[in-house]
Amino acid sequence: MCPESLLVDAEGERVLDDATAEFLRRICELPAGEKLLSCIQCGMCSGVCPLGYAMDYTPRRMISALRAGRIDDLYRSDAIWLCVACFNCTFRCPVGVPIPDRLIASLRVDLLGRGVGVPPELQAAFERTFRYGNPFGESPKKRDAWTRDAGIDVPILREGDSAEVLWWVGCFGSYNKRNQEDTIALARILRALEVDFGILGPDERCSGDLPCTSQGETGLFDFLYHHNAEQLGKRKFKEVLVGDPHAFNAFNKDYRLLGTSLDVRHYTQFLADRATELKRKMKKQIATKVTYHDACCLGRRNGEYEAPRILLETIPSLKLVEMPRNRENALCCGGGGGANWLDSYIWQRTRVPLPMQRVQEAARTGADVLAVSCPLEIPRFEDAIKSSGLDGRLRVREVSHMVAEGLGLLGGT
Amino acid sequence: MKIAVILRQVPDVVEELVIAADGRSLAEDEVTYITNEGDEHALEMALILKSRQAATVTAVGVGGDEARDALATAVAKGVDEALFVPVPFEHRGDNHRLAAHLAPAIKSAGYDLVLTGVWAADQLDAGLAGLLAVHLSLPYVGGLTSVAAEPAGDKATVRKEFPGGRLGIIEVSLPAVLGIQSAEQPPRYASVSKVSQAKRTMQMKELSGPLPNVEGVHVSKLMKSETGVKAEMLSGDVERVADGIVRILRERGVV
Amino acid sequence: MIPREVVVVAEHMAAELSDVALETLACAHELAFSLGWHVTCLILVDDPKPFQALPLASDRTLIVTDPALGSFNPAAYTRVLLHLLKDLSPRLVLLGNTSVGMDLAGPLSIGLGAPVVSGCTRVRAEGERLLFTSKLCGGKLLAQSEVRDGLAIALLMPGSYNREIGMLDRVPRVDVQASPVPLETLPLRFLELVEPKMEDVDVTKVPILVAAGRGIQSRENIEAMESLAKALGGAVCATRPVVDQRWLPRTRQIGRSGMTVKPRLYLALGVSGAPEHVEGMKDSELIVAVNTDPDAPIFDVAHYGATVDLLELVPVLTERIKALRGE
Repeated sequence: MCPESLLVDAEGERVLDDATAEFLRRICELPAGEKLLSCIQCGMCSGVCPLGYAMDYTPRRMISALRAGRIDDLYRSDAIWLCVACFNCTFRCPVGVPIPDRLIASLRVDLLGRGVGVPPELQAAFERTFRYGNPFGESPKKRDAWTRDAGIDVPILREGDSAEVLWWVGCFGSYNKRNQEDTIALARILRALEVDFGILGPDERCSGDLPCTSQGETGLFDFLYHHNAEQLGKRKFKEVLVGDPHAFNAFNKDYRLLGTSLDVRHYTQFLADRATELKRKMKKQIATKVTYHDACCLGRRNGEYEAPRILLETIPSLKLVEMPRNRENALCCGGGGGANWLDSYIWQRTRVPLPMQRVQEAARTGADVLAVSCPLEIPRFEDAIKSSGLDGRLRVREVSHMVAEGLGLLGGT
Repeated sequence: MKIAVILRQVPDVVEELVIAADGRSLAEDEVTYITNEGDEHALEMALILKSRQAATVTAVGVGGDEARDALATAVAKGVDEALFVPVPFEHRGDNHRLAAHLAPAIKSAGYDLVLTGVWAADQLDAGLAGLLAVHLSLPYVGGLTSVAAEPAGDKATVRKEFPGGRLGIIEVSLPAVLGIQSAEQPPRYASVSKVSQAKRTMQMKELSGPLPNVEGVHVSKLMKSETGVKAEMLSGDVERVADGIVRILRERGVV
Repeated sequence: MIPREVVVVAEHMAAELSDVALETLACAHELAFSLGWHVTCLILVDDPKPFQALPLASDRTLIVTDPALGSFNPAAYTRVLLHLLKDLSPRLVLLGNTSVGMDLAGPLSIGLGAPVVSGCTRVRAEGERLLFTSKLCGGKLLAQSEVRDGLAIALLMPGSYNREIGMLDRVPRVDVQASPVPLETLPLRFLELVEPKMEDVDVTKVPILVAAGRGIQSRENIEAMESLAKALGGAVCATRPVVDQRWLPRTRQIGRSGMTVKPRLYLALGVSGAPEHVEGMKDSELIVAVNTDPDAPIFDVAHYGATVDLLELVPVLTERIKALRGE
């Protein structure tokens, strides 16, 4: 509840204009939204924001502007679209103000509602996700086309079917040609471990985390949620295994809030539980120096830092080195919060793109491989490697890919 | 100023198109519909005109049930009225029939401007806009990328595209029908929650009654285009394809 | 067999017949020759001089003049054509499937009570029936339609016939007459023809073109296209959707309402190959297309193709070309 004391002063005079007051009232109705009012203006958020230097209104200043009743300044600011939802701010905030998911998201909701100032690439991503269930605009019927090249049988669960584990593949893992390689790697690992699993196939739609939450398209998120929850409800399973940390975040946080509680784990967590078995089954030595990049959605947002590392350490001869900014200090790849579609918009306003900073940091560790656990990171880091001139010095590999390699499951489809 | 925008639903080519058993049409249960792109631009053009001067915009959704969704989106974007014109599957691509069907309702409403896309991906006969203009006895010009209406509402100045990037600037007496190629800015966004709200609250009128017995063109056969017949396909991964392309370019003396 | 009349409504601009007009004449000639039919090339214009000595592949050139016909005013054209065509009583009227032909199709169809077929790539006769082949739905579908008897109107897609066969080695009989109908009070007034601003690259003169289609997905991928174009010594051009998004200026647009190009190399990246685009580039000497959709119509017109991800291919290809050039 937004306290009246914020809206009127001691004499009962209105302190804030109607628009700002309305905005604050709405935020206070969202889960944890009222924490905004407890901001102590310490500036931690602005300090840890990887793009704070490019914002005219950093997170701290946004809250300060709201208190001064200047919401129109925020609507006009570019800063709203620069947020990559890396969650550093909320993570560090002494009060836990939910900045990307409530503040930034709500500002974007307003702008989207007016249909103005919405970057066209993001608009296209929303429209496609609404129509086709994925931001690429590919036919939903082709969502499981990747299974044809998997080299193993990937069970598709129809209505009424059951499996121990429901594997939620995700948009990137399903449609993006580069990410499909890693999806296939994971499929083969699951088969090698004799996991009883299945996928939803064409009935799976975007989880909504990547293009929608913190994007302001809450309507679209709700639409996707209702579809996905219904489809999940038609199958029987014990747990959900998610390939994509963004979907994992959606299921772990938002879906729970909306009433669908799933026993959900990211694939690194699922496999880390079976680390001993994996270690036993390893066939190849991979004598490489590897540094692991903590995905924001897995790490800061959901507290999982060790599972991917445990997995990498099952691979024989692999040497793990850490980047200076690791675990909760990891530097975001810059793809979250819809930024994957806003790159040109963001790069016009910032100096060095985040992925380039990160791959340079990775190269400095002397590692040959930058290991990742989020499908977005692969194309982002691979492009950055080329733009940084690190081609040949650094490779990007999904953790599942490396594990599959060590198990001797790759090669030949 | 009263503006009407006609939003036709056409087959979505993202999905695979399946020919029906009769070999002359698309299989009905395999087709998904989307608003014709030119009509989206016509809608945007109408909304831009509305932002510049006092105007009411009526969106006319033509097709199956998807037309209702298109109307909800149009309302979310800012149109004032919505008219649903249901059309049975087999006639959705017949512009002659549609023009004859729509004309009486449009005439009686007395619009100053009727905007729609200059062509549609599924059309085989003439464009709907031109045919409608004849039925309404109104002037018509199409292929437009901009429309500027005079405040007095009796004239509009339009830009018509010609090949080679040339533009013709034409003055049109109103009322008129205009065939839009593209709007002055890309079609705006309507958030999903706004569209849902529009669906719940909008007052949608419906044009009932059978379609007139007019046939545009008689299709004797419909087939999928033969693809890959001409191009020699390069196989393999990105590296191999790149090598292949370089080899071809060298052989042809391009590099 | 009664010789029938084919009328070609010939488009022109800046005192020259358009390529599509010549292609339409080629179509008419091919049809008429086999059937013993008669072809009239109809030109509506203000000044007949540039057209009187053209060796067109028609049996007759009929030039109808009026000051109001100096530029393409659909209202003026429609009025004149309805009158003339009722007199000429043809079996077939051919127009280009262009922004000119499309304006006339509807009014002529209803005014003359004749069916009209658009998007045609081929016109044939079988006995008394006329058969038309058209492309639909972004080139993914082919439709065959027929008109058994009576007048038929067809809009021919640019690039469907060889424009060189639109001219012969003799000048046909030429008749010049004034417009049979008054063209004063018209609801449309042609004010001005604006040439495109050419401060940008003239893509019609660049021998190597890298075409960016919708498949490039976002604006910042244009930069990679520019690098590739630069390495190849060429320029970037685009399909309509890319230009409509304002990712490249309109002067780079290839296709129906943009430029027609015939470069040595046309590298189509993420281009689906919809007819409106293909008509602007199908005469390119070497067409190489990359599209993840194996059914994309571009592969009908390309010489070589691949279904790899263009965003992955472009940087690799750029490096290879640069290495070749010793950079």
